[in-house]
Amino acid sequence: MRIRSRSLFIIYFLGLLLIALFLLDIRLGSISITFSDMMGHLLGRSELSDQQLVILTKFRLPRVATALMAGAALPVCGLQMQTLFRNPLAGPYVLGISSGASFGAAVVVLGAGATGIVATWSLAIAAWLGAGTVMLLLLFVSYRIKDVMTILILGIMFSSGLAAIISIMQYFSQASALKSFVIWSMGSLGNVTGAQLTIMVWAILPLLLITLAYSKVLNGLMLGEEYAQTMGIRIQRTRLIIFATTSILAGTITAFCGPIGFIGIAVPHMARFLLNRSDHRVLMPASMLTGMVVMVFSDIVSRLPGTERILPINAVTSLIGIPVVIWLVIMNRKAQSL
Amino acid sequence: MTDSPADKIISLDRFTIGYQKGSALLSQLNLTVNRGEMVALIGRNGTGKSTLLKSMIGLLAPLKGVCMLDGKPFSEYTLPERARRVSFVSSQLTQLPSLTVGELVGLGRMPYTGWMGRLTPEDRVLIQQALEEVQMGSFIERRLECLSDGERQRAMIARAFVQDTPLMVLDEPTAFLDIPNTYELIRLLSRFRDGGRSIVYSTHDLETAMQCADKMWVIHEDKILEGAPEDLGLSGLFNELFSTSGISYDEQTGRFLFSGTQKGSVCLEGDRDEPLIWTRNALERLGYSIEKGADRKINVESSPGGVSWILQKEGGSMRFENLYSLSRFLIQE
Repeated sequence: MRIRSRSLFIIYFLGLLLIALFLLDIRLGSISITFSDMMGHLLGRSELSDQQLVILTKFRLPRVATALMAGAALPVCGLQMQTLFRNPLAGPYVLGISSGASFGAAVVVLGAGATGIVATWSLAIAAWLGAGTVMLLLLFVSYRIKDVMTILILGIMFSSGLAAIISIMQYFSQASALKSFVIWSMGSLGNVTGAQLTIMVWAILPLLLITLAYSKVLNGLMLGEEYAQTMGIRIQRTRLIIFATTSILAGTITAFCGPIGFIGIAVPHMARFLLNRSDHRVLMPASMLTGMVVMVFSDIVSRLPGTERILPINAVTSLIGIPVVIWLVIMNRKAQSL
Repeated sequence: MTDSPADKIISLDRFTIGYQKGSALLSQLNLTVNRGEMVALIGRNGTGKSTLLKSMIGLLAPLKGVCMLDGKPFSEYTLPERARRVSFVSSQLTQLPSLTVGELVGLGRMPYTGWMGRLTPEDRVLIQQALEEVQMGSFIERRLECLSDGERQRAMIARAFVQDTPLMVLDEPTAFLDIPNTYELIRLLSRFRDGGRSIVYSTHDLETAMQCADKMWVIHEDKILEGAPEDLGLSGLFNELFSTSGISYDEQTGRFLFSGTQKGSVCLEGDRDEPLIWTRNALERLGYSIEKGADRKINVESSPGGVSWILQKEGGSMRFENLYSLSRFLIQE
């Protein structure tokens, strides 16, 4: 089958691209660590200097690992939202889920001023709660209102409302807390420390596996909830799983990396465009892979190779994602499809 | 003679449907569907056709009463169990996913596939057979966006067909179709029925339903009347049904007529049946009734060169080469 071999080819291609970008991302910086340096170290032929080793294990690898997790998790959230709401413009950012997580984080950073390991956990839990609350509100509304446009508008209103509350909190907060919150809100892949990385891995990897296992069910949802039910899909349970996984995935990434815009909404469309397919059993892993490629690429761009400066990751992903969304809105006039 | 309970695939017992308690759309329905039977649900827009079908198959909760499927209340089946017994085609499909026809039809195998939804070679054979059944055998790689309305609807029906359920429920499957596509689709459903499946479909197209359904459920006021199409015709129901809409039902011919103003009567004569039938249709459309011995007389002459019409009235006769010019003359008269 032609479609199958094309999908396979694209997935291999994305895999190779990801490996290349991964190695480039690790190599870049004031101290160069090349692939052969690393291989030599692993095989015991040569040694990395202590300095290289510290930079590699304490900074660069955690940073790339964070990029990979954010890149895999956010498109999954976007894809699930797009299929559930049957709207190509749905995504964690648009629906206010990221804002919910931001609000949770704001309460911890601005309100409590917590630090250390307590802060790590409370930040994650607050972000999950914030994202989950917005999700529950959307879930509740979507039971009563079937019109997807209304739900999108409500999501935008939720996020604007939360942004307003966050700015009030910022106005009344201490200068130091304010500074750390502003830096957090610009997004960063580099601030994820050992304990946070552990939480991220444990929160994200199992959920990614669950969402992969739900690909068949998501396919059934493409025709709408009525059809899904007549094909044997337990719709309540499915909604609950989609909402829970999305809240935790988006909440975790937002808590530790700040709000990363447009990856969730744009990457599933990039994957759809590349594969020319909507079958979630291929689209889901392809979206994860595309997301990882885009995030590692954004990380490389944000570090402005050749300079000592680092751009906020949120700005880079937005500049990559926005053209995709604009293209989508314009194309959507012709073919309204997912 | 009554049907034995084992013949019944669906039986509704004091089934009451609607969106809120206190404002039932249709109440106390007692209806049955037998195995291998095609049932057409007829009703005007907004009378609750969709609500009834959706309540019947558990997509909406009934206000009262039960729907028995194979002798067991519908609510006692789990969703996966239902999916192997009843398939559904909805009337609305505003937004289609970007799938190929084969992928869409493959979704119908969901109740049978494993957790990854992998299709077996047998599933693929079934999908190809279903597509051939709906005359879309070569469409498997085509995308849904590139199909016509009729093809899209047939693809949706193929999806329901591969679900391999003894009962298929279709909500207004012909709503967006033109007449040839409508007949094509109804013929398709009749073939499924002949293959042993039970079909329930809703429509407001009484005429096609009369020609193919084994049984009709006709929504009239807040009741549903059940019977063979001819039973309902015999009961004079159809005239009552359309009494307000300017349409009358001719019980002799089984045809619908616009009941416009009557213009008078015409005596029609001729030697060949076919031109006579069409002339009669044209005259009735214009509001003339056909009566022997009427003053106005039309003679239909068939000759090897074609048919011509001679209109005789007081003061002479006129000759027309086709029905259009005859009817133009009658209108202007």
